[in-house]
Amino acid sequence: MKDLKHFIYFEDLLRDARNELVARAVEDGKRALGYNCYYIPEALLNLPGCFSSRLRAPGMRSTNIADYYMTTRNCPYVRAILERAMEGGYHYLDALFGAECCAAMERMEEHFFLLRPVKNDRFFVTIIDPPMKGDKTSLDYYKSQLKLKVVDELRDRFGIDVSEDAMREAVRLHNEISQVITEIGNYRKLPNPPITGYEFHVIELVSQVCPHALILPYLKDTLEELKSREPEPKFPFRARVVLAGSEIDDPEFTKLIEMCGAMVVADRYCFGSFPGREQIILQEGESAYDAICRHYLQWNQCARFMDGGKIDQRHEEVRRLAKEYGADGVIYENMKFCEFWSYEKVLASNIFTNEMGIPCCTIEKEYSLGSIEQLRTRFQAFVEALEIKKIPGGDKA
Amino acid sequence: MIMIDGLVQRIDKKLQRFDPLWQARRGIGGLRSRYYDKTGVAKYREWRGIRDTLYDYGQWMKNLGSMTAMVASAPIPCLKGFWEYRWMGSYLGTFMFIDRLFEGYRGYELRIAHHNMHAIVQSLTKKIALVLSNDKRLGGGPLSDQMIPYDEVLPPLFLTGFKDLIPIPLQTLPEFIICDIDQQLEPYYIDVAESFGLPADVCSRCAAETGVAIDDAFPIIGKAFITTNMPCNASEATSMFQRRRVGLPDMPVTLAMIHNEPGAHPYSTQMLKDTIAFIEKEYGVTYDWDELFKHAKEMNEQNAIELEKWEFMKTPYCALVGIAESLYRLYSWASVNGQDSYFTKTDRKVLKLITKAYKEKYEPFSGKTRHRAFLWGPSAVYYTDFPTWVENCWGINIVLNMDSTMGYNQINTTDSEEAIKDLALLSEKATMRHHAVGGWENVNAVWEWAKRFNCDMVIFNDNVSCKGMNGVHAMMEEQARDLGFHFVFLEHDLEDCRTVSRRDMRKRISDYMSIVLNEQPLDPTLVDFDDSEAY
Amino acid sequence: MKKVPTFLVKIIKTLLITALAGFAVTFTIYMTNAENKLIYYVIRPLLNKHYNSQVRDRRV
Repeated sequence: MKDLKHFIYFEDLLRDARNELVARAVEDGKRALGYNCYYIPEALLNLPGCFSSRLRAPGMRSTNIADYYMTTRNCPYVRAILERAMEGGYHYLDALFGAECCAAMERMEEHFFLLRPVKNDRFFVTIIDPPMKGDKTSLDYYKSQLKLKVVDELRDRFGIDVSEDAMREAVRLHNEISQVITEIGNYRKLPNPPITGYEFHVIELVSQVCPHALILPYLKDTLEELKSREPEPKFPFRARVVLAGSEIDDPEFTKLIEMCGAMVVADRYCFGSFPGREQIILQEGESAYDAICRHYLQWNQCARFMDGGKIDQRHEEVRRLAKEYGADGVIYENMKFCEFWSYEKVLASNIFTNEMGIPCCTIEKEYSLGSIEQLRTRFQAFVEALEIKKIPGGDKA
Repeated sequence: MIMIDGLVQRIDKKLQRFDPLWQARRGIGGLRSRYYDKTGVAKYREWRGIRDTLYDYGQWMKNLGSMTAMVASAPIPCLKGFWEYRWMGSYLGTFMFIDRLFEGYRGYELRIAHHNMHAIVQSLTKKIALVLSNDKRLGGGPLSDQMIPYDEVLPPLFLTGFKDLIPIPLQTLPEFIICDIDQQLEPYYIDVAESFGLPADVCSRCAAETGVAIDDAFPIIGKAFITTNMPCNASEATSMFQRRRVGLPDMPVTLAMIHNEPGAHPYSTQMLKDTIAFIEKEYGVTYDWDELFKHAKEMNEQNAIELEKWEFMKTPYCALVGIAESLYRLYSWASVNGQDSYFTKTDRKVLKLITKAYKEKYEPFSGKTRHRAFLWGPSAVYYTDFPTWVENCWGINIVLNMDSTMGYNQINTTDSEEAIKDLALLSEKATMRHHAVGGWENVNAVWEWAKRFNCDMVIFNDNVSCKGMNGVHAMMEEQARDLGFHFVFLEHDLEDCRTVSRRDMRKRISDYMSIVLNEQPLDPTLVDFDDSEAY
Repeated sequence: MKKVPTFLVKIIKTLLITALAGFAVTFTIYMTNAENKLIYYVIRPLLNKHYNSQVRDRRV
């Protein structure tokens, strides 16, 4: 396929947390608001006068300082973020909105106020206590936590307009960028898509790490370009898979899977577009703030949800994606040392394989892409297994 | 009386060469001399002097009586239970367990320890008989459907308002208590879970619970299952497996994780209300606040006594020490939680003994204590007698354990609206949660606690798979250095003795004591030994 | 002084002897750690053999 016009630029934007567009927004006087987890609604961090910056640590190799603080027996993502902070990679941030979504994440976020690695006088940290069920009691708690620790803080510390109108504007912007991303992503449903999983991963990531207003024109351009982009003459992959699980912010991981012959047609993981790019719908009589909170609790697919409804939802969601995007199987991954996804991976693979009849490959990964050969072997074997199933009578093999 | 005292003294003098403490003082033996290698089986029981030995024998008989009563009350279910459940077989290690815990104990500390231990034994044996008699897998019983299986980490006090229902902590019998008794059991269940793909780096306690669920080894009781998000991530995750295998309508009681903030309590309060409504619906019963108040009064008295005990613990003259304190508090708080008045009576008796010992300026362990330590972080349950070892070997008195500081607020016993708020507060500060979870201030509170209890040392339990506690490693070390505490990270793997063995744990302490502090052991036979095949 | 009936003396004697014998037996078991040796070396291996041969309904 012909290269996308902005694609190299997008790849460049992912090389540094403080990329060109982030720097421009900061220079324009916008407040840079860091966050790690879907539990912090991206829409709230894009109120007028500020922008969201989902934290990554691209190019991370050694996490020696973070290992000292958090041991090597802890989540590689949180260690990478802490290491990057200690290296000085997040000085542009005005705030970090954390979530006690897991113990490792919370401890890492605490180090942001204990060690003060962000050299910015305005910088502060708050950590919400996110609920673990989808019921009304949980929604009420979620709303009160977000109000106390995000909205009120933005208003009181930075004078950000948090009125109904401002919230509606944030929702509008969110929906606009989500619509573009969703339309781009929908091309993956086609039998021979004009976009690869890797390209989409890069596009989705830039939408999360760059100021929305600044990245949006490029994304719109890309969407237009895709409308007329010629796919390869023949579908170049041997299988189609949904990639599901915990945190993946390195598109090289998607590339690795695709190099093994499986196109990643749907991305249901932290930093993926499912969830993340659904439309926030304002119901009648509902404030924009309430709609945001309801939306993020409703769509959240985190493995920490404990109630039956939410547990079933996350398996149903993967089944839906597999069906809609024509996937032959699911690759379910968890970040090493992630308690939630370690468990969920076992549960989900059992449900997919034995109850839903969806072939499933489970793997564990580091933050920085390592042990490539082992992963490659696993993926190649899975692709072969999927191919065999397509042969008449192959499902009995 | 004087004559008897004289006689006892004469006999004690004649037989003192059999006393391991006497042997250790003279360098001709010690507490470990009487064991067969590796097995943890003693050739003979500890000679503690005539009075203490007879007292210990009497308590052995008493505990034997409780176990006989358990079997006599439900002979067929008990036999079936032994046949069906691997974990039941491990309860046979109870006597060895009790012996291990109270090695080297004499005088007041021995009496207090046995008061506490017998309370646990009598409660546990009754519970085992009750559960097995009504376990549907073994044929069921009249109370099967009146039981509420709930997650053991959820304090059950609020459930006592259901007068005709019996709250049963589902994991306690197959997992949480038994791993204290038999270090060999949980690795079996952990292996079962790992054989289904669970990584070996998750918390072993929750891996073991998952293994019990996969192995179909939970008793089948009740009409609905109450799970919880406490205390931590892995515990939440294992609930997802358990609810599938239990197969009953379930209600996750997800209390606030960051529980020190005012906003947390209304949420937790509402969560308890939701749970009560759920049980009312599933069991077709009505909540009785007067019944709750009755049990809350028990809990209130126990908590009030606990605070009185703490005052004594701040001095060198407290005869309630080490594991006798922490195991009892853990069980009476987390498992009993106001449901059994025997514990209130035990508390009263123990308080009297503590007071008497204090007035006599009695120093436990013959006054050989060199350091007063606060034990912080979740302890290795396969090495429950660690506090006993550390006292006997190095003279380190574990004054208080983190888990002993669980919720001690009083519950309102007249106003239901206030009571439920108090219950939420109590429940938020449950096992392994009060200080290990919910924010830096909670874990960092250790220094204040250690200071209050006049400790010069903090032993920080370092569960190698606990992500939350791993996340504060360097900060704690730096704090200890700044504040001038002796500080040891004690690595362990909570329920998997294969990863970090008891011996490895001992080595960690012994290295610190001999290399860093340049101290000599009180009993050299305890410094290094192999108990890898022991219960 | 009244004489204690013979049957009562007998009963007391029997009780005393039984108690003494009971004490002697149980105290011997206690001191020699006999019950734990029996459990560890005999009962536990037998039970483990049984548990290891069980077929359990293992599933998620």
